[in-house]
Amino acid sequence: MLNLLKQTGAGVAALTLTAGLATANPYEPYEGSTLVVNFPAHPHFDAVMQVLPQFTEETGIRVEVDQLQYLKMREKQTLELTKNKGDYDLIAYVVFSKADYVYADQLENLAKYFMNPALADPNYDAEDLIDGYVGNIGVSGGAKGYLPGPTGSLFGIPFGSETSILGYRKDIFDKHGLEVPKTYDDLLELACRIPELEPGMGGLASRAASGHHASHAYLLHLAPLGGRIFDDNWNPIMNNEEGVKAAEALKTIVECGAEGAETFGFAEAGASFLQGNSAMFLDSTVFAGQVNNPEKSKVVGKIGWAPHPEGTRRGSQTGGFGIGIPTNAQNKDAAFLLMQWLTSKEADKAIAVAGGNPSRFSTHSDPDVLAEQPHLEVFGEALKHADPDWRPIIPVWGKINADLGTTLSQVLTEDLDIQTALDGVAERSKAIMDDAGYYTWQQ
Amino acid sequence: MSAVARANRLTPYLFLAPAAVVLIFALLYPIGYMIYASFLDWSPSQRIGQAEFVGLKNYANLLHDSAFHESFWVTIKFAFVVVTLEMVLGVGLALLLDRNIRGMSVLRTVFILPMMIAPIVVGLMWRYMYHPTVGIFNRTIKSWGFDEGIPWLSDSTWSFVAVVIADVWQWTPFIFILALAAMQSLPRSALEAAEIDGASEWQKITLIKIPLMMPVLVVTLLLRLIDAFKVLEVILVLTNGGPGLSTEIIALRIFRTAQEFQELGEAAAMSNVLLLMLMALTIGMFMYTKIQEARAARMRAAAEQTES
Repeated sequence: MLNLLKQTGAGVAALTLTAGLATANPYEPYEGSTLVVNFPAHPHFDAVMQVLPQFTEETGIRVEVDQLQYLKMREKQTLELTKNKGDYDLIAYVVFSKADYVYADQLENLAKYFMNPALADPNYDAEDLIDGYVGNIGVSGGAKGYLPGPTGSLFGIPFGSETSILGYRKDIFDKHGLEVPKTYDDLLELACRIPELEPGMGGLASRAASGHHASHAYLLHLAPLGGRIFDDNWNPIMNNEEGVKAAEALKTIVECGAEGAETFGFAEAGASFLQGNSAMFLDSTVFAGQVNNPEKSKVVGKIGWAPHPEGTRRGSQTGGFGIGIPTNAQNKDAAFLLMQWLTSKEADKAIAVAGGNPSRFSTHSDPDVLAEQPHLEVFGEALKHADPDWRPIIPVWGKINADLGTTLSQVLTEDLDIQTALDGVAERSKAIMDDAGYYTWQQ
Repeated sequence: MSAVARANRLTPYLFLAPAAVVLIFALLYPIGYMIYASFLDWSPSQRIGQAEFVGLKNYANLLHDSAFHESFWVTIKFAFVVVTLEMVLGVGLALLLDRNIRGMSVLRTVFILPMMIAPIVVGLMWRYMYHPTVGIFNRTIKSWGFDEGIPWLSDSTWSFVAVVIADVWQWTPFIFILALAAMQSLPRSALEAAEIDGASEWQKITLIKIPLMMPVLVVTLLLRLIDAFKVLEVILVLTNGGPGLSTEIIALRIFRTAQEFQELGEAAAMSNVLLLMLMALTIGMFMYTKIQEARAARMRAAAEQTES
């Protein structure tokens, strides 16, 4: 706590200093106004709630937070964003909403705010923001429409973003003299060796439940193993050699997993690891906050972290949340100031110390932060390989994702042949894509 | 026509007007809205006015959508299996308990408890009971000496069975309570007459009780059938439609189409197909009872004629 106070103290000092040089105070015109923001109920945003009062203290701008369960958030935002005058000045959105919101012209292009000298802080240091996250969550309009590129522009800033990370039981690995897997071959071999060494224990806890979970687990392996869902012309290629390899990897992992692994969702996979029934865990970093909580975890102090293993290339997931300003917001300038403040170096540090997911590289190597959250050092390494294109962010993805997920579930539970299964998905995806107009320019 | 006569002629319509207004707003408007929406390519990010009109495209898509076909058959299979089981068990229980037992009112309350539990809770409860390692079923099976538990939720056949068991557990009491009420209001005279004629218990059940209860049973069946076609929460929590599509019934497919695929138009089209199917079912059922009643009336009339 003292640490936190010291840091934010430094932050305040830094902010007032830079402000003092320019005008009296960039926040002055907005003093006394109230911003309404929509955040999800999520560990990162719980940490944000602890830091947020400092913003009001420093700037005199009040912030009212509407915190919703993250699946509910989408529904509420859909209603709010289609109104003429919205109630929200700043929203947190999941990465999939980016495609829909930007396409429906519901998020502000941030260029005009960063161009405005009265609003943009020259010391913001955007280079320091994790580029994989910015590309995944913030930028639209570049390569493939949803990635950065010469035609892209910024609509949001990553805030509460996640990547994938490998968690492992240090005690089990030490006991049997095992090496932390660095490649996929090692990972798969180890996943199946552990149940032999420790009877009753699963190798790697992975999601596999029908639908979104199975698809997510598959995608986690697809990028590092060199595969993609679409080629550059939007042709589905999940059924090529790399795609089949990823599905085989998933199948091996589930077969060597704890009992009932075929029906694990994110929560069950996490619980299996926390209850000591699985020796490894490969999924989102958001999970890391729980492992040392004795209320939820039986493996306190026994967990080590390593980057997502390498296949033919490195590629860990990108996802989580970003923040943006709705087009129908009523206090856009002040909302931008809040957004800039929340993602500034000082606030990012304070949020990380309070248990959030930092959005900046520098925070991952900051000694004060690492003293509180030592695992962030490994996470910072992992982030350098965060892949913004590990799954497509297009409006029809939901449908293809569901088909992929149910078909993979058949592979895992009904022994459907992998090549046949993925060929089927590719064929149906092609029809969906054709229907949505992705082949308009193809002869 | 005099003013008085005209007023007299209009009066009935005046009295009907409030009911008509309520009907239009509460029933026809939402259904009309849904039918209209089924002709649109509508994403939740758009207002309904911005959505593009695509005619019958959503329905045409459903014709070619193999996942929807699968859901369709799963739904029919599910509805048929659960309603049959529930009818047999519910009516059977009612027959067994149609007597004066001490503490009957307490028993009856206990029996209908499952019906009162929120579906989400039922789903969660059964999910934990089906859990492969810590669930009560597999622990019991293993304590009997079997090595492997049953893959309740991770095998497509078993997960269908699991979903059916949960639904039967929850809704048998509904049929039980209605059947019991019907049975207790049967005319005692008919049963007494049968007893005097020396009918066995079994004959009393098959020849008197069940036929007399038929009208109530048909309505009960219909209510359960309609409900079984629309069941969502328990399956959503238990299996989320999986593994594969083995338990993805239409209601769940509609929910996912609207929520995950963001296609409100297609979801509306699916709802309309479901609505049509249920309407056909209801009309068919009522036609059947009508025909039955007409036949009974004819037979009665014929019997009276021969007597006189």
